[in-house]
Amino acid sequence: MPSATGTGAADDSGASAKHHGDPDRRRLARRGLLGAPALVFVAVFLLYPLALLVETGFHAKTGEWSLVQYMRIATTPVYSLILWKTAWVAGAVTLIDLIVGYPFAVALSRARGRWRLVLLAAVLMPFWTNLLVRTYGWIVVLHPNGLLNALLMGSGIVAEPLELVQNTIGVLIGMTQIMLPFMVLPIAAQIDRMDRRLLQAARSLGASASRTFVHVYFPLTLPGVFAGSLITLVLSFGFFVIPALLGGRRDVLIAQLIDFNLTKVLNWEFAAALGTILLVVTMGLFLAAQRWLGLRSLWMEAR
Amino acid sequence: MARSKLRYSRAPMARRALLKGAAAFAAVAPLPLRRALGAEGEVVYATWGGSWAEAMRKAWFGPFTEKTGIKVRTIDGPDYGKIRAMVKASNTEWDIAEVNPDFQWIGPRESLLEKLDFSVIPTDQLVKGENLLTDYSLPEAFWSRVMAYNTKKFSKENHPKNFAEFWDTARFPGKRVMYSKANGGVLEAALLADGVAAEKLYPLDVGRALKRLDKIKDDVLWYETNAQAVQFLQDERGVLGLVADGRVKFIKEKGAPVEIEYAQSQLTWTSYVVIKGAPNKANAMKLLAFMTSVDGQKAIGMEYTYGLVAPKAYDLLPPGRAEMLSNGPQQQGKTVLMNEKWWGENLEKTQEKLDAWRLS
Repeated sequence: MPSATGTGAADDSGASAKHHGDPDRRRLARRGLLGAPALVFVAVFLLYPLALLVETGFHAKTGEWSLVQYMRIATTPVYSLILWKTAWVAGAVTLIDLIVGYPFAVALSRARGRWRLVLLAAVLMPFWTNLLVRTYGWIVVLHPNGLLNALLMGSGIVAEPLELVQNTIGVLIGMTQIMLPFMVLPIAAQIDRMDRRLLQAARSLGASASRTFVHVYFPLTLPGVFAGSLITLVLSFGFFVIPALLGGRRDVLIAQLIDFNLTKVLNWEFAAALGTILLVVTMGLFLAAQRWLGLRSLWMEAR
Repeated sequence: MARSKLRYSRAPMARRALLKGAAAFAAVAPLPLRRALGAEGEVVYATWGGSWAEAMRKAWFGPFTEKTGIKVRTIDGPDYGKIRAMVKASNTEWDIAEVNPDFQWIGPRESLLEKLDFSVIPTDQLVKGENLLTDYSLPEAFWSRVMAYNTKKFSKENHPKNFAEFWDTARFPGKRVMYSKANGGVLEAALLADGVAAEKLYPLDVGRALKRLDKIKDDVLWYETNAQAVQFLQDERGVLGLVADGRVKFIKEKGAPVEIEYAQSQLTWTSYVVIKGAPNKANAMKLLAFMTSVDGQKAIGMEYTYGLVAPKAYDLLPPGRAEMLSNGPQQQGKTVLMNEKWWGENLEKTQEKLDAWRLS
């Protein structure tokens, strides 16, 4: 991005610089103007509502400023349990997606022509189906008389149908599938950007294929791995429909709690406090990633 | 939440100006034309929609418009959160909403409702009962949560006939389908199973109920939506259930192997409320009077299977029809009335306890 706009601006700044003074400042001002609508949009539709959300959480139900919502979260054990469960599920989904998604991304970046399209379609398919339809689809596949159990029992792998849905396993399966593109695409993009000469150099210096992978290939894909994991983790914190439909007794996640407080008992102050905790966790993850994993440089260099 | 605030505060302004202009024109137009233009105004009715809204249109809205010239416009999804957002933004777009009865207490507590005008709405014909009628609400229809059982697994003679038997997993093995929200009857069922008398249920002993739930905790399929409950029963993963009667009747008609046991059925209802700042408040009162009249109740009894709130209307139904409705003769003497006032005051705390139990 910097190079493209940079040359464009330099071209016409030469032509009309004398009317407008310092070309650098003019360029900056114009860039600012170009960005203004987006900034206004973000301020009005993102920052302002978020500020309102945070503020609401610091009020008591009666209206005055108070920490009572946070006290309730801190002193009632069930809320730490729900937060912990949410983090656990999000972490597990991220890990499984990484294990499944990494080889897939490698295959995707190696495939050419029709195969590449097929693989891309396979990973993007969940994006093109309605969330509810897709979730009910999983029930059809996973339930005790469903496709998967019929297959497993028919081939003699298991004698009794496995309990794959209406429990945490079902939640993990459903979420893992939906989040997979967020893991695969950044890793595949990183692989495509990789300087292949480094691999050739490693091999020509006598490294084995596995040694080349561990010391050259894998480290070069790490920015994609970090970016994919971060996006997957953050998005997984807010899931609502899947745990509600595929989960069981123990699958109470924070999004369900927020929905209950917003729409069933109208305790918006408490819902806002829960939402703020989610927001802080998310921001913390981004800042940590920026500080220690160098995500900032990844975003600046991307494209 | 802030987004919905914005949503409610912008678009309607233009529409309202337009409506005002139309109204001004309509006032000087001749009467037949005024009728056609809907100059008598309208009522905006927030409903759960679906086949129920269809039935209401036939039984109530059509005849009401014919009689008064007032049009009824329906909006799907009478969500409490939306109601609060509208009122807080001082931009109420709905007049009447159909709600669960807990909102009879949650609504006024949050100053979200208008008092009803009982000089326009007669109430003598309505069924008498604690909490059914408040300054802010009228009963709309009865429904109940009933025990449903799979007819392939259990017979008419040998199936759970009370909640103690419903809890007996040795005698009646298989998964039970139950609602995951605290006010969905599961705690009442547990206490009834534990031997608490129906009239002594409230205030609920939540600890005791959860202890009883412990005994079947691995035998329950929890549902968050009625569609899910129906699916559990239809694909026979659940062989017993505590499910809304209308849904069970619906899948039974479609051939699902389910049957209803009415013993200890949990009777509850839905309520009408008028939202604070309702743009067509006077028309809303007229429509409420129309719908809760004996004739209005008879009409809806012909179209849908919810229980009627005017008992006299049952006598006007053709033979056999009354038995098909919730709280009809087939159910008399078998119901346990939910104390929705208690729920209006205790849902939040009780849900917290149920969630803690679910995660334990």
